[in-house]
Amino acid sequence: MTTGVLLYCFNTPTTAYHKLAEKSISLIKKNLKLPITVVTDNHTKKHFNDDTIDYIIVTAKTENFRFYRGQNVPWYNMERANAYDHSPYETTLLLDCDYLCFTSNLLELCDSQYDFLLHDKVHDVTGLDRIVGKLQSTLPIVWATVVMFKKTERVQMIFDMVKYVQKNYEHFRNLYRIKFKNYRNDYAFAIALHQLNGQVGSQNFIPTPMSMLPHEFDVLETDQNSVVYSYNKKINVLTNTDVHVLDKEFANVG
Amino acid sequence: MDIGKLKKYSDLAHDLNVTKRNSLEKMRARQIMAYNGRLFRADAQTINTVSTLQAHSKEFYLLDTNDNPCLITDPEDFLRKLIARNQETLNTLSQLHDSLKRRS
Repeated sequence: MTTGVLLYCFNTPTTAYHKLAEKSISLIKKNLKLPITVVTDNHTKKHFNDDTIDYIIVTAKTENFRFYRGQNVPWYNMERANAYDHSPYETTLLLDCDYLCFTSNLLELCDSQYDFLLHDKVHDVTGLDRIVGKLQSTLPIVWATVVMFKKTERVQMIFDMVKYVQKNYEHFRNLYRIKFKNYRNDYAFAIALHQLNGQVGSQNFIPTPMSMLPHEFDVLETDQNSVVYSYNKKINVLTNTDVHVLDKEFANVG
Repeated sequence: MDIGKLKKYSDLAHDLNVTKRNSLEKMRARQIMAYNGRLFRADAQTINTVSTLQAHSKEFYLLDTNDNPCLITDPEDFLRKLIARNQETLNTLSQLHDSLKRRS
């Protein structure tokens, strides 16, 4: 039974995602001790020097964008729908490359008999509860940042459904009255699960909320145990906690 | 009282409250453990439930964190693991709590 981590990493004209991935990979090696596969493109691959990692080279779709700190920036996030096909592992932890694993907690999910788990709740580590996801669509939001999946027929159906949703995203976006005009994997997965579950909301989720640091907060420093961040002249530290960091500038800090 | 002193106190209270909140969330995340293929929370409620059921039966069913039933065939082993994980997380929290008390 093979277990491993799958990352998607594509540099854009505005963000050097490979730097985020390098930080993430370092923590995965330390805390999860699992083999890693990075799905990337030829341009981004040139920046990776780690030969202990497996690479899958694809050509990313480049038409999507995201709103970040007052402007629209390119966002190459559409390949994630192919994770089931790309993963060489029987049990996969699919992670965003800006998700930092400071603990081994995710291994517990892999030890369970669940074949598909993701978060349906978030915890804003700043205490301001800025990320709630309410009133932004008519379906319950899930977060595709961390997905544990196994190679089962049901999971293949979920990913096939995600691909279908992606292909017809404008229709589903209107159907579920999703506020955001860009393609978001969070919604694609939420729609796929809602559709496949007979449009009934009960599913199996990761039991605890995903810790997130909103993009308004600047990361000042990261090391092997913690993230130091600031906002409005206040500085705080998060220690030994898995966290999704939305500030992309942190790629450039030590 | 000097408004500057009140502001300073408020800033400190903010930091302490956010740190405490995050520490509790960290504790809860660490308390999740896989057992017999299901996920359980190593908290006081689960420990009490297992302890009570163990007193009446050699094996029993328990709902996991996603409300799926799991047959517990070795309650003693399960309880030992729950308590170990619970105390590991509370020990970490306690150390942090002490350091916060020194800051306040």
